Amino acid sequence: MSGDKNKVMLEIKDLKAEIEGKKILNGINLVVKPGEVHAIMGPNGAGKSTLSSVLAGRADYVVTGGEVSFNGKDLLEMSPEDRAREGVFLAFQYPVEIPGVSTTNFLKTAINEKRKYLGQEPMEATAFLKFMREKMELMEMDKALTSRSLNEGFSGGEKKRNEVFQMAMLEPKLTIMDETDSGLDIDALRLVSAGVNKLKDGERSFVVITHYQRLLDYIVPDFVHVLYKGRIVKSGDASLAKELEVKGYDWIKTEVEQEANA
Amino acid sequence: MLLETIKKDFVQYKAQAEQGEFLTLREQAFAEFEKLGFPTTKHEEWKYTNLKSITDKTFQSTCEIKSLVNELFNASIESKLTANFLVFVNGSLVNELSKIIEQDNNIVISSIAAARKNNQTIFNQHFGKYAKVEGEAMNALNTALLSDGAFVFVPKGKTVTHPVVIFNISDASDLNVLAQPRNLIVAEESSSVTLVETYYAVGANASFTNVVTETYAGKNAHVEHYKIQQQGGESYQNNFTQIFQEADTNINHVTLTLDGTMVRNNLHFYMNGEHCNSLLYGLYVTDNKDFVDNHTRVDHAKPNCFSDEKYKGILKDQSTAVFNGKIMVHLDAQKTNAYQRNQNILLSDDATVNTKPQLEIFADDVKCTHGATIGELDEEPMFYLRSRGIPENVARKLLLNAFADDIAEKIKIPELVELLENLIDEKL
Ligand SMILES: Nc1ncnc2c1ncn2[C@@H]1O[C@H](COP(=O)(O)OP(=O)(O)OP(=O)(O)O)[C@@H](O)[C@H]1O
Ligand SMILES: [Mg+2]
Repeated sequence: MSGDKNKVMLEIKDLKAEIEGKKILNGINLVVKPGEVHAIMGPNGAGKSTLSSVLAGRADYVVTGGEVSFNGKDLLEMSPEDRAREGVFLAFQYPVEIPGVSTTNFLKTAINEKRKYLGQEPMEATAFLKFMREKMELMEMDKALTSRSLNEGFSGGEKKRNEVFQMAMLEPKLTIMDETDSGLDIDALRLVSAGVNKLKDGERSFVVITHYQRLLDYIVPDFVHVLYKGRIVKSGDASLAKELEVKGYDWIKTEVEQEANA
Repeated sequence: MLLETIKKDFVQYKAQAEQGEFLTLREQAFAEFEKLGFPTTKHEEWKYTNLKSITDKTFQSTCEIKSLVNELFNASIESKLTANFLVFVNGSLVNELSKIIEQDNNIVISSIAAARKNNQTIFNQHFGKYAKVEGEAMNALNTALLSDGAFVFVPKGKTVTHPVVIFNISDASDLNVLAQPRNLIVAEESSSVTLVETYYAVGANASFTNVVTETYAGKNAHVEHYKIQQQGGESYQNNFTQIFQEADTNINHVTLTLDGTMVRNNLHFYMNGEHCNSLLYGLYVTDNKDFVDNHTRVDHAKPNCFSDEKYKGILKDQSTAVFNGKIMVHLDAQKTNAYQRNQNILLSDDATVNTKPQLEIFADDVKCTHGATIGELDEEPMFYLRSRGIPENVARKLLLNAFADDIAEKIKIPELVELLENLIDEKL
């Protein structure tokens, strides 16, 4: 962990959100500073994916309260594409297949739209291809995969690897990984972790949603949070994840119930 | 009124007509047309397609050819191909623009008029044998008053090296024009040919094209047939294609409708032998108040045949599309595999789609599926692209191009696909 200790990259204050009238986020508070790695854990249905979707700007979710600032800007005011171009990247839990759009064309468009937004010249075709080749090697992405339609017919693991490959290409300031480790074999897990660790420069931050300690052996978090019923109910350091691995969530749930009753 | 034009034309034709079989055929067709009259929306098959804006107009059947035509031809994407060209303006062959590069003298690529002189036996053997006149007013009309058209004859075992481009232009610079092209394609046993049938219009007046194409595919023949419709201005087209397949034939038919005030396509396949493959793909991109109607019919008359049909539409403004896909599985057509999809994306609240699958299955051991969708672009892919920093309008474009290119890529001439994809991109 380095970076400016006083700077805040992401600040979530009392964030509430619902979908189809169902309350899912019930007041999330989280502060992420540059260079930090935060792990978010929690039982199924707790609202982890909802939180990442709300941060990425998915329209289905209605934000009913709270605020989110990203590098001093109001994130919730921005369109999904502007959030991305400001440096937010979400590695999806379930990446969609997009037939007919090649990975290469997609990435070239994404990179050049970002550069345009930032007032930079578009990347030349040869420079782009060279850059892409480097990242493909890093992620051990097969050439056959990038020449195909985006995610079409990819295996579960290949889709996840493709998410991290895109992250490596887009070099975001803040990466939110939603269970990127689920469904990965040991080698792919190591690749994905290497991809993340390679991007770490003391400035870039990561919010890693996971159910498993094994990812956190590779990507060591500075903070671990437990999300339950739409709130962060417990935070700690890396040891909290290890504790959860052994004890499960029941003791936390009990704590929460007791607090509520008190 | 169009009917008056037609009657006058037929009187004129008869006055100078040759005698014999051909005249009889055309007289019978004319009688059939007079009996039926123009289809109206009371006919089930024409429920959504109102020909009134055509039948209320007066059209001229011939017209002088202008330099505009040369310009249009030279600017077209088709003219960039290494291919055989038969160019027709208002239904008449233009020698200066037509060019046959096929070296094999046994292969015939000519006008219908020439074929009637030079290839009488083959011509008489096939002409009028597949496109039904009975009950089909527009076919009857075409048969009675056909102008000219393409004749392609590929003898047994031969392959036409380069595509045959059948290039039709309606020149409505001076008057409303009526053209009734007629094409006959005969691909004998184990032969192969690629056809590119294309339509343009120039001029400020209205044009009406009523075209009939008959294709005979002999045993094990392979026919690639691409239809590209881009008639601009006020243009009307009724296009009837009947494909007759013997056993083991492969037909890949792609229809791209990119412009036209009113386009009605009737594409009929008849499988007369086992182990046929029939592929029917279509794309329509419509805007303004344009109207496109695709009526297809696949007759699985024999067992063990396969058909795959996919029509896609992108509709803008107040445009309308109709899709009607009939699949007839005849009584003894066991082990038929037939697939059909019609997918539509509406880009405007004022656009309309009427889609109707019509499966009539009389055999019991068949696999048939169909599905139709009408809607907007899927939100999931849209959000995915935007979440990577691609703005909404660019993302929409990427997805629409992908949707459309899927059909364009069924064309097996890479240079043409690239040019068409650019064209589609512009249109979107
Ligand atoms: N479109 C929707 N309509 C109704 N309920 C929804 C919708 N999407 C999510 N939910 C509900 O919101 C709750 C939180 O879901 P979310 O996907 O955020 O959980 P999660 O913490 O990511 O779970 P997991 O660990 O299983 O991925 C769940 O109860 C889920 O059923
Ligand atoms: Mg989830």
